[in-house]
Amino acid sequence: MHAVSSNLVKPIVLGSVAGIVAGLFGVGGGVIVVPGLVLWVGITQSKASGTSAATIVASSAAAMVAFGIGGSVDWRAAALIVLGSVVGAWGGAWLAKHLSERVLAVTFALVLLIAGVRMVM
Amino acid sequence: MLEIAGLIALGLFAGGIAAALGIGGGVIFVPALVVLFGFDQHIAQGTSLAVILPTAIVATVAHTRMKNVKWKLAVPIGLAGIVGAVVGARFALALDADLLRRMFGIFLILLAARMGWRAWKLDGRTETEPDTP
Repeated sequence: MHAVSSNLVKPIVLGSVAGIVAGLFGVGGGVIVVPGLVLWVGITQSKASGTSAATIVASSAAAMVAFGIGGSVDWRAAALIVLGSVVGAWGGAWLAKHLSERVLAVTFALVLLIAGVRMVM
Repeated sequence: MLEIAGLIALGLFAGGIAAALGIGGGVIFVPALVVLFGFDQHIAQGTSLAVILPTAIVATVAHTRMKNVKWKLAVPIGLAGIVGAVVGARFALALDADLLRRMFGIFLILLAARMGWRAWKLDGRTETEPDTP
């Protein structure tokens, strides 16, 4: 086994799993890529967040095209949300450097739990 | 008019959290569009992806400036991700919207549990360095 090819095993497995989740649920796949990079590949949380963002560009573009062909994209709503989120993303990158990760994670977990229960019912 | 303001506010809020945690924001956009705005599950997911793409581009630029992107990992993950994303999207589109919504709900609850566990383990620290062998 070449060093180069074995170095690619983890990224390819991680990318495939993240891509399937991204396409199936309409998310970016960072929820798989970030913990995968930290726990399995062994890089720091901030490097994992940045690397994940770059991979999301590819997976979300591919899934968006698939949903778009199926007629399942509300482009007007998307444009409005983008207006807000482009500004929000700049603020968020700054936030990640300056705010406690624990505070972010706890707040986020609560929001997800409430939304998840609502959607299952 | 209220819906227009609501969608912009959703983007501002979700975009910030998404960039801070290095995710695409879909785990916020999809439930918000379904629960708060009454979108069909499939349309919510497709719309979420159309928002995630430009958001992720902006986040990538910001992270690149902070030297937080490892391109040797990002390129193979991204390429494999494209293939997986098309497979996953085609499967989602073939599913009933009600079933897909419930599956998404379970996915969110699992994520919440993991985020909670992660916060518990962090124990107040902001960054964990991997052990050097």
